[in-house]
Amino acid sequence: MIDHEKFDHRPDPELGKALRAALEPAGDQGAFVARVMAGYDAALERATVPTWEVLASWSRRGIAAALAAAVVAGFLLGRTVFQPASADDTPATMEAAMAPPEGPGLTALMTANDPPDASIVLTSLVEPR
Amino acid sequence: MGSEDEAGLVARTMGGDRAAFGVLVERYAAQARRVARSVLGDPDEADDAAQDGFLSALVKLAQYDATRPFGPWLMRIVANAATDRRRRRQVRRAEPLDTALVGGGPRPDAQAIRSELGDRLRTALAELPERRRTAVVLFDVEGYSHAEIAGILGIPEGTVRSEVFHGRRRLRALMADWKE
Repeated sequence: MIDHEKFDHRPDPELGKALRAALEPAGDQGAFVARVMAGYDAALERATVPTWEVLASWSRRGIAAALAAAVVAGFLLGRTVFQPASADDTPATMEAAMAPPEGPGLTALMTANDPPDASIVLTSLVEPR
Repeated sequence: MGSEDEAGLVARTMGGDRAAFGVLVERYAAQARRVARSVLGDPDEADDAAQDGFLSALVKLAQYDATRPFGPWLMRIVANAATDRRRRRQVRRAEPLDTALVGGGPRPDAQAIRSELGDRLRTALAELPERRRTAVVLFDVEGYSHAEIAGILGIPEGTVRSEVFHGRRRLRALMADWKE
């Protein structure tokens, strides 16, 4: 070993060699590498959950959610089907929908021989039904 | 070992390339085991810590700056893994460090001398504070610069110089009667 009592910035090759030999791993290097790679595989396996496990974890919540959705949908559908129609509802037939609304302005417009006056047209459009 | 090559290996590892990670492990296995052993003393425990370090590095790969050398970054993780393990051990059982370092059994002369030297050195190393012996090992065994060791140990560069100096001096004093 180099005998320096003063500070030396350079590595001491003799000390380094002796320490390296003293710290050299006893076991086989290949076995250690294999062991680390087995750890790598295990870590990867833990990080990758099989698809069927994901689906299984979803199934319970999925079934509950589907049941809740079915109940709500059934309720809404039933309410729509069994609710009686009111007088103010939209026409139930095509004829009723296409029939001109009643009113003097519109009658005059439909029966006149002359082209309609713009004021009549506008009046018919803004006239409350 | 080119840092550019290592940056490529790291990128491939992050992409899920098992073989690339294997190359990095093979490249740094011996160094990681030595550094861990310098902290822990016990070779089996050191291997556990080195393995922890590699797998921890795998998880933290996204944090690695590819423009910098991979070795110091990895060694920092390995040294931390070893230190954590040592702390846990100290909590479990309050007993002196590195008592299980000395190998036993008769050996041929040359090998026996080497073994005895190794035993003496390990015992001497064990007498140094953890940071000091790790600094000496990283500098004299692994060839890292003071600046790199400062990054690995998370201490100022001046402190690294001081630790290496005092560590070496203590080791020389402890080994003074060897073969003399």
